[in-house]
Amino acid sequence: MQKILIANRGEIAVRIIRACREMDVSPIAVYSECDRSAPHVRHADRAYAIGPSEPRESYLNIDRLIDVAKRSGADAVHPGYGFLAENDAFARAVRDAGLTFIGPSPEAIAAMGSKVAARRAAVRAGVPVVPGTEEPLDSTLSDDALAGVAHAIGYPLLVKAVAGGGGKGMRTVTDSADLAGAIRAARSEAQTAFGDAAVYLERRLTRPRHIEVQLLGDAHGTVLPFVERECSIQRRHQKVLEESPSVAVSPALRARLTSAAAAVARAVGYTNAGTIEFLLDEEGPFYFLEMNTRLQVEHPITEMVTGVDLVRWQIRIARGERLDLDPSSLVAPNGHAIECRIYAEDPDNGFLPSPGRILHLSVPSGPGIRDDSGAVAGLDVPIFYDPLISKLVAWGEDRARAMARLRRALAEYRVAGIRTTIPFFTWLLAQPEFVEGRVHTSFLDERLQSRNGRPFVEPTADTEDLAAIAAAIHLALPLRGDASPAADAGRWRTEARREGLRTV
Amino acid sequence: MRRVTLTRAGDGFAVALDGRTWRIDAARVDANTLSLIVDGAENTKAGFEVTIAPGQAAGQLTVQIGAVPVTVAIDGQRRWSRPDDPAGAGPQRITAPMPGRVIRVLVQPGGRVKARQGLVVVEAMKMENELRAGRDGTVTEVHVHEGLSVDAGALLIVIQ
Repeated sequence: MQKILIANRGEIAVRIIRACREMDVSPIAVYSECDRSAPHVRHADRAYAIGPSEPRESYLNIDRLIDVAKRSGADAVHPGYGFLAENDAFARAVRDAGLTFIGPSPEAIAAMGSKVAARRAAVRAGVPVVPGTEEPLDSTLSDDALAGVAHAIGYPLLVKAVAGGGGKGMRTVTDSADLAGAIRAARSEAQTAFGDAAVYLERRLTRPRHIEVQLLGDAHGTVLPFVERECSIQRRHQKVLEESPSVAVSPALRARLTSAAAAVARAVGYTNAGTIEFLLDEEGPFYFLEMNTRLQVEHPITEMVTGVDLVRWQIRIARGERLDLDPSSLVAPNGHAIECRIYAEDPDNGFLPSPGRILHLSVPSGPGIRDDSGAVAGLDVPIFYDPLISKLVAWGEDRARAMARLRRALAEYRVAGIRTTIPFFTWLLAQPEFVEGRVHTSFLDERLQSRNGRPFVEPTADTEDLAAIAAAIHLALPLRGDASPAADAGRWRTEARREGLRTV
Repeated sequence: MRRVTLTRAGDGFAVALDGRTWRIDAARVDANTLSLIVDGAENTKAGFEVTIAPGQAAGQLTVQIGAVPVTVAIDGQRRWSRPDDPAGAGPQRITAPMPGRVIRVLVQPGGRVKARQGLVVVEAMKMENELRAGRDGTVTEVHVHEGLSVDAGALLIVIQ
């Protein structure tokens, strides 16, 4: 494998380019109209324009991607996450073009893409699923018949889209009177979002945690699970902060979770990187939720606590290499890692997108800090795509030290020109429930609701004084002040002479 | 509102604010960054890195001190204040903050609305965004319907 075409953009394209560089593989980028000057284009060996900014016209355009993959002489395609990463037609088109798809087979993607089929695979593997319907709801069932099906499962329950994801086509029903309306609404939303109106019913657990297990599978039948990730901090069913390991998972529970995850993956002959998501009930049992047949946004926390480069392994597995990692080391985390998804959103204005030009960016660094970013100063954050600009990851010897580092790094992070979710994370890391690890999948939405939109970081009177003074000084101080490079160089020389140092 | 008076004093400034005074050493790091060292009691924090950028509205600056962003609104020459609180006057013109598609209109002309009540839902960047009223009032104009694509800045709703 000499050249890899990266069918994605943003931070994940940059992440994959870095893995390519470290393996002496040539990275090839693609870009839409608005992404011409994006970092992933600048860092690649070659980059191809693939069309207008609308995702449908570019990053989701299979024909155009296959065309540039062939023209570029790439021998493999990495889909990243999002866009076409879980599209079995794309994986098949890559294979049919004689190229290697860096991910699972199209058959595995298709099998796990249907939530109902995925539940059946879990049941076959002997892994419990949340009680619910085995098949999509027959669209000809009468309201009375639906009520009967729902009664057998029990309330509260969820109506979920078979093709669903990200909370679309999903409704909570607590009372049988609302059932028929919720099913109609979910079907219509699922039809719009996924082109498939099929829905099924599932019991809604009270206050579950979202726990997931990363896997790697090679082409020789080896499937290895990794230590779990805790992803219960979600806003409107979207993860915003993840950590590994979970405070709620004992070594004994970890052994059961990881072997259940591996069993599901083996049941569908899974290869490459994937993730099995579980709900962990307050009472203790866990249930299979779904499988993500791609690299996850939150993969860096697993890398931080295991030392394994998951993207590098994706490429090695695609080349046919054998997984020769020590299985026991993958489930024995070294320390603790937490990731914040930093979005171009204004948290103090209902998390509205905040696209625009990044005027200034200074990124935290130092011990235990990793920033996976697709943003640089001068970049326009486009309106067309997911507004994730960076993933800030902190590692510490234990959870308390990881949190302390994350707080330190958030205060170092400076983004000017656009709003970001950094103030929200500063607030979240001060919440006692979060600090003590007492969270569940509805925790954040409940807390946000009860705050009534108060600012996440409220300045003290002293800070306001200082801000007013700083603004006045900002206008009074000329742009080329004492700190101009020429003046600095002059001073360095003067100082060097005074101290009798040699200069060159 | 705060009135800040700056006087050049040696390498820094003598600063007066609401009858209090400080000596502040200020270094410009780059176009958006200042380093301030405030002359004060020995046991208080005196060093601050400040990031400054244009705010969301004309005449506003976003000033970040530590992890805390503060919006500073200009109020005449050399006079600065915090942004208006929501109890302003005049009609509220609700505009689209970004291009997107209207997926729900939650109010009708003539309807009474409360501060922070949802008015219209616009989908953009894969997210549904609810635009809300800034303060209590009556809806006088509704310029959008469900399914309509809107440009950034498009007038959606007016509240008196």
